[in-house]
Amino acid sequence: MLEVKGLTKRFGGNIAVDNVSFTVDRPMMIGIIGRSGAGKSTFLRMMNRLTEASEGVLAFEGRNVLPLVGKAKREWQSTCAMIFQQFNLVPRMDVVSNVLHGTLGRRSTLATMFNLYPESDIHQAIDILDRLGIAQHAEKRAEALSGGQQQRVAIARALMQDPKVILADEPIASLDPMNAQTVMEALRRIHDEDGRMVIANLHTLDTARRYCDRIIGMRDGRVVFDGTPAQLTTGVARDIYGAGADFSEAATSTEIRDHHDIEAAEIRNAEVAI
Amino acid sequence: MADLSAAPLDATRAHYLALTRQRRLYGGIMLLVFVLLMASGFGIANDRNAGGFLPGLPHIFDFPAGVISEAWTKRANLPDHLRNALPALVETINIAAVATLFGAFFAILLSMFATRGLAPWPRLIPVFRRIMDLMRAVPEIVIALVLIFVLGGGPVPAAIAIAFHTVGALGKLFSEVNENADQKPLEGLASVGAIWPQRMLLGLVPQVAPNWFSYALLRFEINIRASAILGFVGAGGIGYELKNAISWGQGKFDEAAAVFILLFLTIVFFDQLSSYVRNRLTYGSDKGAGK
Amino acid sequence: MSFVSPSDDPRHMHNRAAAMIARKRLLTFVAPLFVLGYFVYIFFAFDIMGLAERARLDNAVTLVSDTYSYKTVVERNNRTGEIGVAVEGERKGTYDASNYPGWVTVGEDAALITLDDGGTIEIVGDIVRYDVPGFGVVEATQNRTDGVKLNLDTADLPDWISYSKTRVTITTDAARLSLTKARTEVFVYDFGWELFWVTLDSPYSGHSLMEVLTGPQLDPTRPNIAGAWHDFWNNAIWRHGETAWALFETILMAFLGTFGAAIVALPLAFMAAKNFAPFMAVRMLARRLFDFLRGVDGLIWTILLSRAFGPGPMTGALAMLFTDTGSFGKLFSEALENVDSKQIEGIASTGAKPMQRYRFGVIPQIVPVLLSQVLYFLESNTRSATIIGAITGGGIGLLLTQAMITQKDWEEVTYYIILIILMVMGMDTISSWLRRKLIKGD
Repeated sequence: MLEVKGLTKRFGGNIAVDNVSFTVDRPMMIGIIGRSGAGKSTFLRMMNRLTEASEGVLAFEGRNVLPLVGKAKREWQSTCAMIFQQFNLVPRMDVVSNVLHGTLGRRSTLATMFNLYPESDIHQAIDILDRLGIAQHAEKRAEALSGGQQQRVAIARALMQDPKVILADEPIASLDPMNAQTVMEALRRIHDEDGRMVIANLHTLDTARRYCDRIIGMRDGRVVFDGTPAQLTTGVARDIYGAGADFSEAATSTEIRDHHDIEAAEIRNAEVAI
Repeated sequence: MADLSAAPLDATRAHYLALTRQRRLYGGIMLLVFVLLMASGFGIANDRNAGGFLPGLPHIFDFPAGVISEAWTKRANLPDHLRNALPALVETINIAAVATLFGAFFAILLSMFATRGLAPWPRLIPVFRRIMDLMRAVPEIVIALVLIFVLGGGPVPAAIAIAFHTVGALGKLFSEVNENADQKPLEGLASVGAIWPQRMLLGLVPQVAPNWFSYALLRFEINIRASAILGFVGAGGIGYELKNAISWGQGKFDEAAAVFILLFLTIVFFDQLSSYVRNRLTYGSDKGAGK
Repeated sequence: MSFVSPSDDPRHMHNRAAAMIARKRLLTFVAPLFVLGYFVYIFFAFDIMGLAERARLDNAVTLVSDTYSYKTVVERNNRTGEIGVAVEGERKGTYDASNYPGWVTVGEDAALITLDDGGTIEIVGDIVRYDVPGFGVVEATQNRTDGVKLNLDTADLPDWISYSKTRVTITTDAARLSLTKARTEVFVYDFGWELFWVTLDSPYSGHSLMEVLTGPQLDPTRPNIAGAWHDFWNNAIWRHGETAWALFETILMAFLGTFGAAIVALPLAFMAAKNFAPFMAVRMLARRLFDFLRGVDGLIWTILLSRAFGPGPMTGALAMLFTDTGSFGKLFSEALENVDSKQIEGIASTGAKPMQRYRFGVIPQIVPVLLSQVLYFLESNTRSATIIGAITGGGIGLLLTQAMITQKDWEEVTYYIILIILMVMGMDTISSWLRRKLIKGD
């Protein structure tokens, strides 16, 4: 169903994604783990075609999507919805309008310029919001919602695209544990009920273990682990995160933000050193 | 939970659709009104203009072409004309500078009188605000024309007229700056017994001076334009030279070209200078805050 | 053990602090001194000393007194012997025999004027007698051969009487009398703006508003309200209708210029913004275009465009459109350079077309900045439109300059000035109301 072969991304002299290959034969919920700068985000962005790949093949249902341009590229983007760490909604517009942005790919440019959407789309948008438990906020501006609610609006926008794949780039990294759970449960339910493939970049090991069918570990742009949650032992995790003997899983699940910042700082330092 | 919320969901749906319809209606009406206003406004303006838009369009370059070609054939005279127009240019810049200095000074006073927490007479704040609104609303030309009648032509009426408007315009901006100033230093000074002028000079001015300066500089650039225009209606300076050169018509276009060039270069120069200095000021203060 | 580096040496620090304070002192003293020196230069450059000579204080007095009072002229044409009474000496303000004001009685080649301070002026043929309270009767005569004569010792006249062989002028607080061979004129001053509502030839003249609204029909051919409105709107002296048109024209210029510029500037701003420009060359070109449009300035654009389109409101609107396209282009492109790319990415990830990306990813972000700038310019352009109107011949600016040039109808000048200020303040109120309204609710 999804076949990735030799996918590589170079930024100048740096290699962000290095010769990644794997195959997925049925819709699954896949978690990609690894520390910041491991190339997880770049991989998802290449898949959605927000970032151009340098080399390789990414075939979905037998068709390589990387060389697509124009209309074909946009059609692929609408098949493969994306959810972002910072939600990437339009904060000044109301929730339903934000969800309706999921239909932009298939609606005429002129009508959407004036914010004109068919009534059936509006009904569908509200249904999706209801499914995610936030229909009561339909009329509010996106910026008036909490982070967890905004992320659910972003998921609703993704569902509005009726995609075959949902890519989630650190969907819970900006959320508190309660909201993180709600969002992850929503993603899992979408996978279970609709049979859509979900690929999520995750920071926390326990989240990946708990919600995913398959876990891919990345380090320095390469795939270093690919298997079931059961196969992911502490030793393997230590390898993925490149930590020493003092590594504990707790370090990846608590203090999400602080940890993230420390890692980012470490990577910056490392880059400066190079 | 989804089952329980079926009825409220219908209500949400109906309400949102009603809202959408209303928004579309209002948006449509607003767009329509705007397009109609633009179209009919253009039509009216076109009708009341001496020459129409379409008949005039092919001739839009006639005058510039005439001026340029004449200036080119007499290009040997150009340096002389530039030199002759220079004193008028200096006068125009002087008018703007004097007006900006006086205007900024009184704007500082008025803006302090009109800012809560700074005003020595808090009850009069609305009065001073109204005064600034009024001064801002008076176009320079009104005062300039009246003063030309009383004081005769020359730079003084123009400088007074521009200064008057500048007080209102800068006063409003300054009072916005003042409102964002930290009041704690003022309270500190008040606690050691400083009187009002001391509190303002030592507590307020150091905080807000860069912003004041930046706005005053922007105003200076605007005032140069205003001073040139007022010259055109009789207040001296480069505008007056321009009017004379143009009214001579064909044969004197080389002089007009010289004035055009001088005025254009001056405005571009001060425009760039003021935006450069203002960028440096904001960049500098950012750097200071970061330390 | 530890070495003191030169910058940490206390003596060195003292020196540095002293230098800093000296620098500050320099700034606090030198800057005002510099400004003072500049003012001294300006004092001579602007010839402030000569200003006192050039200033015409009598002009100021005429101007001020004219703004709150008006004069009615009783005039005898000394060649034909005709006597007429007219407001400001205007034809439209001429009284006919049936409705002279109460303070004047006109007889056969004679007129008697009773003044507020108890004085009287009597015109009898070629003789005029002014009974000044507390002074006595001044009598002046004129005839074709001898010119003007006075009953007083012309060598010892009070300063309010001026006499020459061809003219006598007596100026008191209540009136001004002027006698020449050609005409005898008495100017009587009254408080207020004369004939502001309707002129004397209108049937509604001299009736109060209540009488017009509720009283009997004054003109058999038309209903009172319509007739009175018509006579007010077409008042030949004050020209209220034309003035209203001129105000409208001024606002129209500002409206067309501002919004036209915004519409033209928006697409250009995309080309000038770092993050949207397709090529660097395009960006540089667009930015230079903005600088050029701004640098040429409204004044020069007005002159250039009026050559092609003739004088009028459209020329003014276009001049503002050209200048403001430059200003807006610069402001908008700065706003565009500050947009948050996450929102654009969010829209792009759904497979949206480029236009849709701009519409939903960019426009909602810049609309608040854009609207507030445009509305701010609308207000300031209303003022500019007054000035440009004076140059290009349109709107209230033109009426103002015309009234100024005649140098006599200062009450009209005052009227226009008040209207201009009200107009600008009105536009200011509307624009800040719209700003609040539009930016708060999408």
